Amino acid sequence: MTLGQIPVIDATETRQLHEFHSVLPKHTESVEPRPTNPVIIFEDFCLYYGSKVGVRNITMNIYPRAVTAIIGPSGCGKSTFLRSINRMNDLIPHVKVTGRLLVNGQNIYDKRINLINLRQQVGMVFQTPNPFPKSIYDNVAFGPRLQGIRKRSRLDEIVERCLRDAALWDEVKDELNKSALALSGGQQQRLCIARALATGPKILLMDEPCSALDPVATGRIEELIHKLKSDYTIVIVTHNMQQAARVSDWTAFFCMGELIEYGLTRDIFTNPKKKQTEDYITGRFG
Amino acid sequence: MSELQERLEKLLRRLDLMGMRTEQALVDAIRAAREGDIDAGLEVNQRDSVIDREEVEIEQECIRLLALYQPAAIDLRTICTIIKVNSDLERIADLAASIGRRTKHVVEDSVDFSRYNSFDSLVDATTDTLGRTIRMLRASDTTAAQGVINSDDLIDEAYKRFVRSVLDTEGKKAGGVEAAMTLINIAKAMERIGDLCTNIAEDIIFLRTGDIIRHADAFDEHTS
Repeated sequence: MTLGQIPVIDATETRQLHEFHSVLPKHTESVEPRPTNPVIIFEDFCLYYGSKVGVRNITMNIYPRAVTAIIGPSGCGKSTFLRSINRMNDLIPHVKVTGRLLVNGQNIYDKRINLINLRQQVGMVFQTPNPFPKSIYDNVAFGPRLQGIRKRSRLDEIVERCLRDAALWDEVKDELNKSALALSGGQQQRLCIARALATGPKILLMDEPCSALDPVATGRIEELIHKLKSDYTIVIVTHNMQQAARVSDWTAFFCMGELIEYGLTRDIFTNPKKKQTEDYITGRFG
Repeated sequence: MSELQERLEKLLRRLDLMGMRTEQALVDAIRAAREGDIDAGLEVNQRDSVIDREEVEIEQECIRLLALYQPAAIDLRTICTIIKVNSDLERIADLAASIGRRTKHVVEDSVDFSRYNSFDSLVDATTDTLGRTIRMLRASDTTAAQGVINSDDLIDEAYKRFVRSVLDTEGKKAGGVEAAMTLINIAKAMERIGDLCTNIAEDIIFLRTGDIIRHADAFDEHTS
């Protein structure tokens, strides 16, 4: 068709056009994430490795069913911050914590807290895919079996649901008994996400989940994160600024163990309030 | 300084040069029209192709920088501002060229500018605003940008006064329609230049603050 030929829109197309416009957001409808009741609350939270500061004086809220990205230079406390949410730092000797960290209203550093329950609520995905040297099925069923689920039909149901949620089911449904180690890197990482979902967490922590993946596999994981946030609260640490900008609703910038700036991702990446943040995301840092 | 920042600095210098060329084009076009110098008017029109080429090259470099560096924050705002200001400067240069081309009609229609004091006010307001716009752009000065936005009302007022006096004077003359059309078209080009200077000023405020102040009333209506 040339520019001179003006197409005539028929009745069906006119109806389709109306339908299209009816699904567009109205001016008054907000499409931006809003701060609702926070699911994770840091109150003047500090974590020390002996005398060395991991993170200090962190006060911030993490909101449900949204993706919060943690960015900052190496050694700024991003991973310490992330791992404090499911107390993974407890495994490191001489760790000391002050302040409070509430998950679903409970201070998780309270002495009475059940760590196994906590880690079932707060799943974690690591930098390098780390499937167990077991079958695909057994990897996903591992957590539920530890929880005492033995019935095969119940396990089948969980495995299928989690593999579907992790966008892996269609690729592996006919070879569930195959070794997880035979999968590609991207598939292995999605399997680890499925494994993390299998214990029924509401919160997912991701520590640079795409750093060992190629761009195609990274794209799949990012799509998955976008899909998962309708059901889960996701906190992701990433060194990739573009990834943080693409996948997250909220962004927190850390430097030398301190929270420098926290806000909507679209504001942080277009108009940060602090010079330090701007210097970091534009590569002027240091 | 990173490679991206060096390339952005270079682009800003090119934009400044384009601004100076545009300002010179307007001054030369108005002089040609006033003096009835057809050749000088055509020369302004010919020089416009230099600005057209520059506009395309600046835009291409902006697209390259977006694709290669995925800039954020001030770098992103700088590129967005350059793309928009680049386009507005090119439009201003087009309007200056159109004034240059109309010099031929000025001579053919025996237009006499000396009858209109209000034409001087319109020229002064427009050239002064464009000059301040180019300096404000160079300095990224938000206070000066607000001044540029405020002066658009002066240009609009001068334009309306001039059109009224043209209609009063030429409308009463037999065969005055052509002269009136020529005068009003030249004045309209200047009035549009005032609007484009306002756009550039708004873009500089966005560059410095991240706030889009354009059409603020439309958003107030929806929130009230």
